[in-house]
Amino acid sequence: MSDNPAAEALGVAVAARVPVLLWGAPGTGKTSAIRAMARAMDLPCETVIASIREPSDFAGLPIVVGDVVRFAPPQWARRLAEAGRGLLFLDELSTAPPAVQAALLRVVLERAVGDLTLPDEVAVVAAANPPEQAADGWDLSAPLANRLCHLSWQAHPRAVADGLAGGWAAPVVPVLPDGWQAEEILARGLVAAFLHVRPALACAPPTDAASAGRGWPSPRTWEMAGRLMAAAGAAGTSDEARSALIRGAVGDGAGVEFLAWLVEMDLPDPEQVLADPASFRLPERGDRAYAALASIVAAVAANPTPERWTAGWQVLGLAANAALDMAAAAARVLAKCRPDGVALPEEVRVFAPVLKAAGLMPGG
Amino acid sequence: MTGRGIDGLAAARLWATDRFPYLATGLFGAQVLPVPGSGTVSVDENWRMRADPDLTAGWTAAQLGSVLVHHVCHLLRTHGERAQSLGVRPEEARNWVRAADAEINDDLIPAGLELPGRPVLPRDLGAEDGLLAEQYFAAARTTDRSGQKSGEAAGHWLDCGSGADGVPRPDDSAGHGGTTPLAPPDEPPGLPGWQAELLRRQVAQEVIAHSKQAGTVPGGLLRWAQEILSPKVNWRTVLAAELRRAVAEVSGAVDYSYRRPSRRAAVAGDVVLPALRRPVPEVAVVCDTSGSMTEDLLAAALAEVEGLLRALGMARQVRVLACDTAAGPAQRVNSARQVQLVGGGGTDMGTGIAAAVALRPRPAVTVVLTDGYTPWPARAPKGTRVVIGLLGPGAPTAPAWARSVRVDPD
Repeated sequence: MSDNPAAEALGVAVAARVPVLLWGAPGTGKTSAIRAMARAMDLPCETVIASIREPSDFAGLPIVVGDVVRFAPPQWARRLAEAGRGLLFLDELSTAPPAVQAALLRVVLERAVGDLTLPDEVAVVAAANPPEQAADGWDLSAPLANRLCHLSWQAHPRAVADGLAGGWAAPVVPVLPDGWQAEEILARGLVAAFLHVRPALACAPPTDAASAGRGWPSPRTWEMAGRLMAAAGAAGTSDEARSALIRGAVGDGAGVEFLAWLVEMDLPDPEQVLADPASFRLPERGDRAYAALASIVAAVAANPTPERWTAGWQVLGLAANAALDMAAAAARVLAKCRPDGVALPEEVRVFAPVLKAAGLMPGG
Repeated sequence: MTGRGIDGLAAARLWATDRFPYLATGLFGAQVLPVPGSGTVSVDENWRMRADPDLTAGWTAAQLGSVLVHHVCHLLRTHGERAQSLGVRPEEARNWVRAADAEINDDLIPAGLELPGRPVLPRDLGAEDGLLAEQYFAAARTTDRSGQKSGEAAGHWLDCGSGADGVPRPDDSAGHGGTTPLAPPDEPPGLPGWQAELLRRQVAQEVIAHSKQAGTVPGGLLRWAQEILSPKVNWRTVLAAELRRAVAEVSGAVDYSYRRPSRRAAVAGDVVLPALRRPVPEVAVVCDTSGSMTEDLLAAALAEVEGLLRALGMARQVRVLACDTAAGPAQRVNSARQVQLVGGGGTDMGTGIAAAVALRPRPAVTVVLTDGYTPWPARAPKGTRVVIGLLGPGAPTAPAWARSVRVDPD
């Protein structure tokens, strides 16, 4: 496992061929990390500093041949096209003037430079300083920001110490197993299910200029998030890197909501548990176990038939072995919605001592 | 599951969820590990709580439950991370923890927290209730310096752990990087940072939901939850971005120019290429100087605008107009403090904008700083982009044709 989730996430994005942008203060090693990564993978790396280029360097230089105008690509694009693979590294993206940013739109997403289209195997990686840290910086335009997965790059004191002493570690680009794209269908399904619940997040262009320069949710970025999720799953990346990739693609707000929804998806379905209480398995983590019990009890309270109420007690009885206090907290809710004429079940007794110790015994 | 070996843990958590139901997810989300002989209860930033069973055996369910709630609040309020970003040195950690304790205790003690011993309260640090740990920390520093040794007895009984003061402990890294040999190998891994963040948001949502239904959430906790779910954006960042965007659009809009030949004209033969031209736009600032304006806020906003324009390399081009019902003549100011509030009764920023447009050379970007109590023109002025800074918390909304930024005192 890597100590630096951003480096791990960078590797996955490059492996999935999703355009990625590293944000970080000057001097934190973004450029050297990207070059080291290309060297370690033996990929040709073409560095293009966007801020000192003209729009025609990306849109192609017009040349008249007879009565046709061709848009000639510059040499770096030709070299990448001839190699058939490689890394196109756009440095200092945020200091590029708006016109150059506009010319970059097609380069970043479609890998088109003038009349030349770079091969699919070419990965696009960019680096930028946050505008507040570079005096001559511009905010990224919203369309360009929407084509990139944004990762924030920080220098971790320990990594810096290790790097100074023993050389810098290059971010590792994982080798994705054949057929990893099949996973993408599953990941897209999850995204689609989430957007059914939160349709407002399907496309939410940023309203203020400050957040326009970062990731924001749109159909394109959701598709990107699905692809990155599949690649992260295939590469076996850490959860932290996966979270950084998803938030980088669709922005922090939508990304966090999606991640929270994914966590909730793991909880058992209360109706299924009530239909077959013996099948209930308490989730490992305390807060999820409590959430599962609370949702089951809430489902009973919403429709308290005698059968469901008794099934609820069976679940709590099972849970009490592992987590007495969580089950007891849920039991207090369940006890309040007792249907008329139903006898108190056996399981109630389990909770009496702990309720008494906590000073919560009714009437005592 | 968790908690074997600490007597009364179940009862304590049950007591805590009864008294503070909105913190239940946080309480159950923290793992409690028995560490005999440590003599304290502490937390790390991965939501692991270590408790000395011998110490807790002497407490009632309410006392242990209160200590759990207290530590969960350290984690919810990210005291460890905040100590690190404040640059609290290890020798100051004890003072920081006292400040953090005061931030938690000031509204939870009235809500029914029954901590063992004498808990730290803001008055022990010479401060009022309802402040942040950073403010308590600063307050305690000054009282210490002036020689008033405050509250010896309060709060000197526990090491709250790295989750409260950000100073790493040897056993924290178990399961995190797994590199520290001191760490007991059988300790369960804690929550990674992003899951802790999700848990924090979950608790914040429950706090808000509870306050809407039952309305019995302590005010400080409610403010914390609102801040987590809709963080207040610094107006300086937004204003800077809007201004950069306005300037960028203006200078970007006329990028290609045939006034000068391209430096690549020699290559292109017959084709005339446009050259890249970046005009430096003129900027005018219209200041509302009516009586309802707050002088400090106007000065802060104006200073910010000037600083930003200087960073963009165009400070010399700025002209400032003072405006109430009629716009004064354009003045060049060297410092924001030179703008005088004349205190006229009515306001019409429309005349100010019209006066700005009439300036020659015409400003490409007009920044309007106002409290918003003014009529606006029905449509956008021609030939200039308008960015409106709305000063003060109660300012009415600005028209949709302009970009607007709310500037609040902080």
